[in-house]
Amino acid sequence: MDTKTYMNERIKEKLDYKKMESGLKVYFIPKKGYTKQYAIFATDYGSIDNMFTPVGEKGKIELPEGIAHFLEHKLFESPDNSIFDRFSQLGADVNAYTNFNRTAYLFSSTENFYESLGLLIDFVQSPYFTDENVNKEKGIIGQEINMYLDNPGWRVYFNCLKAMYHKHPVRIDIAGTVDSIEGITKELLYKCYNTFYNPSNMVLFVIGDLDFEEILKVVDKAEKKKSNETNNIERFFPKEPREIREKLIEENMLTSTPIFYIGFKDSDIGYSGEKSVKKDLVTDLVLDILFGTSSKFYNDLYEEGLIDSSFGAIYTGDKTYGHSLIVGESKEAKKVYERVVQLIKRPSEELFTEIDFERIKNKAMGEFLMGLNSVEFIGNTFIDLYFSDFLIVDYLDLLESISYGDVIERFTEHLVEDSMVLSIINPLAK
Amino acid sequence: MAYTILILVTHINLGIVKLISEKGGVNLSLKSERINIGNGIHLNLIKTSKFKSNLLSFYFLRPLSKEEVTRNALIPLILKRGSKEFPNNLSIQKKLEESYGADLSIAINKRGEKHVLRFTVESINGDYIGDKNYIYGVMELLKSIIYNPVLENGYFKKDYVEQEKENLRRRIEGRINEKRSYALDRCIEEMCKNEKYSIYPLGSIEDLNILDEKALYEHYLSVVKTSPVEIFFVGDYDHNIISYIKEIPDLNRGEILSLPREQITSGVKTKNMVSEDLDVTQGKFVLGFRTGIPYEDKLYRGLIVGSDILGGGPNSKLFKNVREKESLAYYITSTIHKYKSLMLVDGGIDFGNFERAIDIVKEQIAEVQKGNFSEDDMEISKKSITSSTESIRDSIFLISEYFFSQKLSNDYRSLTEIVDDINSVTKEEVVEAMSKLALDTIYFMKNSKMMG
Repeated sequence: MDTKTYMNERIKEKLDYKKMESGLKVYFIPKKGYTKQYAIFATDYGSIDNMFTPVGEKGKIELPEGIAHFLEHKLFESPDNSIFDRFSQLGADVNAYTNFNRTAYLFSSTENFYESLGLLIDFVQSPYFTDENVNKEKGIIGQEINMYLDNPGWRVYFNCLKAMYHKHPVRIDIAGTVDSIEGITKELLYKCYNTFYNPSNMVLFVIGDLDFEEILKVVDKAEKKKSNETNNIERFFPKEPREIREKLIEENMLTSTPIFYIGFKDSDIGYSGEKSVKKDLVTDLVLDILFGTSSKFYNDLYEEGLIDSSFGAIYTGDKTYGHSLIVGESKEAKKVYERVVQLIKRPSEELFTEIDFERIKNKAMGEFLMGLNSVEFIGNTFIDLYFSDFLIVDYLDLLESISYGDVIERFTEHLVEDSMVLSIINPLAK
Repeated sequence: MAYTILILVTHINLGIVKLISEKGGVNLSLKSERINIGNGIHLNLIKTSKFKSNLLSFYFLRPLSKEEVTRNALIPLILKRGSKEFPNNLSIQKKLEESYGADLSIAINKRGEKHVLRFTVESINGDYIGDKNYIYGVMELLKSIIYNPVLENGYFKKDYVEQEKENLRRRIEGRINEKRSYALDRCIEEMCKNEKYSIYPLGSIEDLNILDEKALYEHYLSVVKTSPVEIFFVGDYDHNIISYIKEIPDLNRGEILSLPREQITSGVKTKNMVSEDLDVTQGKFVLGFRTGIPYEDKLYRGLIVGSDILGGGPNSKLFKNVREKESLAYYITSTIHKYKSLMLVDGGIDFGNFERAIDIVKEQIAEVQKGNFSEDDMEISKKSITSSTESIRDSIFLISEYFFSQKLSNDYRSLTEIVDDINSVTKEEVVEAMSKLALDTIYFMKNSKMMG
């Protein structure tokens, strides 16, 4: 039996691990003195995984956009329609989310934790799809899609992705469209379920003032014993050119000020593990030094009235794609774009000093430590890092190991004008 | 970190009902030591070593009024631009970053008919970085921002004032960007037209235009001199930290404002139906009810439970009927506005389904009023309220907000008592409370272009 304990004295946290016979991996962080308990059961399956070889079949299939998210909604079905009720009766607050890369089912509680945990594992492992319940969900998800369509921040983001990517499915809306979800059937949902919801493709993370042995007992009792281990699910991604697709997308909708997203498409992709997480961290440091609230760029543009406190920059990526996003509101988004272009053309030694680098690194370390106050932050960060083959307990040490040279190198190869796009949402003409 | 879509229970915190509870057990008890440190100024100390950080917050209380709302809203924005010791944003941000990413935040909110300005720093506990003393620098920064603004010719710096007026203008105009909260705000505005609660906490564009650095500085002086001030420190502290926080400028504070409790209206004189035609994809509706049950009344607890049975979590009547049974909506909830004793029900639907959805809401309210809900429904709602409020003890910020709201509502029941009170609510009380609902205003967000 594969069991381990990871200790990190600096963050004063401990992580317990056990791999169950089914192939399911269970991780636990004890949080003494916390009232709240949190469990998250996640699978390595997100909106971008819509071309794959279904388990037990040969050859690839391509499925309707939004099916991973649809499946997430539908796992809450059972023959007696009682999943919500049962969590409610236990006093646990259940929820779920789907993003580009994964689907997660979670609950938080302040009592009846172990019973709720058993229920979580049981319902995620007991799909129940019927023609009727699949059709019924189309109306609900249709309203969810419409809600996002009215959100200018969401639209400007997806337009930015569409400008950067030619074919990669990260350009597709996570929930799909009102039309695409019409094509979803119970048969397709079972295909996805059987392929991606195998214990070996999943992870369970638990945090709270709890006992690991007790957790393992619950898991052992609740989980489905038979596992068709599919360690390598075949996923297919269309070949994505290195180049961006289009330089500018503009759209008008009901909003007050123009909103912009400037994207830098990353061509240095394909990593996992420490290398991939380090790249994320280094890129975020680069962006914070250049565009953060203590940067010359931020303060100059703020004082000129070109940006406001909504301005910020972040890197996000996975094995098959990655991009930096510089976002904000501005009456003159194109001018902001031009200023970014001018900035990145300057020599790196002018833009980065060692003092700035050290200060920003300290900030990143402090922010991570403060995040560890929150069981939700720890849970969600754990899951994100875990599917990049990295453990949260090693995060602070990795961050600390980053050198000034790493930042210069990353800046030079990543922030180049050719890989830049601009997405703007303008207010409706009056 | 990637963007996520959250399904099922949309947790939009509108700063409304927060009840707190406490589990037994020694290490779980939360206590605040309250010290008067000046005329109308109280320091509240909450000692805990549970978190990896410490939090220091200053709350200034003002009346919510048309005369001063825009002025109040501008003051934190201007102060955050610079102080005598840290004359610009760059020096403030550098100081925060050097302090291991300490977080400085300001907030401008309404709590009932009080306008609350909050200034907060949260910083990492010195144990984690081997530097016990840097926290003094962080506290100095916060005090400097509040009490020592950059002046130019005796008033606020003109550039800062003009830039922040422009930023505030954009934020006021930006209300429309979040359609759901916009719809809720609009319903309250219409419903409480003749009450101060309708005032938007960021103020109005008309008022912005007439404000300058002189008027604002004078208002600032009256804010620091006449507002009741509540200071909170949550975390690990010793004598030195307490005496450091206590050292704040004297300012010759004279008469301190007294802020009266909000008026509660019950019953409805004129029913209102308001619709706005906007270029949107999803229709939204808000039903605004008056309950007339003040939070001091024992029956208020029945209202909290009743609202949760109607439209709290996924077990609620609205979720089950509007969403799960009829597939009309993705979100549909009911919330209580504590200080004004209002209940708002809101949902997002297709334009063609307005009538159908509102009929179901009315039907379901009638069911609750008739007592057509089970003991199980009662238990579920009580558990949900208890659990979400108990969770507050795991958040350093929510702990400070909790003690602040105690002060706001003059409700010093122990945490255990509050939970016990919720748990003692009877079915009869729920029925009685919910029977007092009077529909006052219906707000629709529609799009005539899409309605044919």
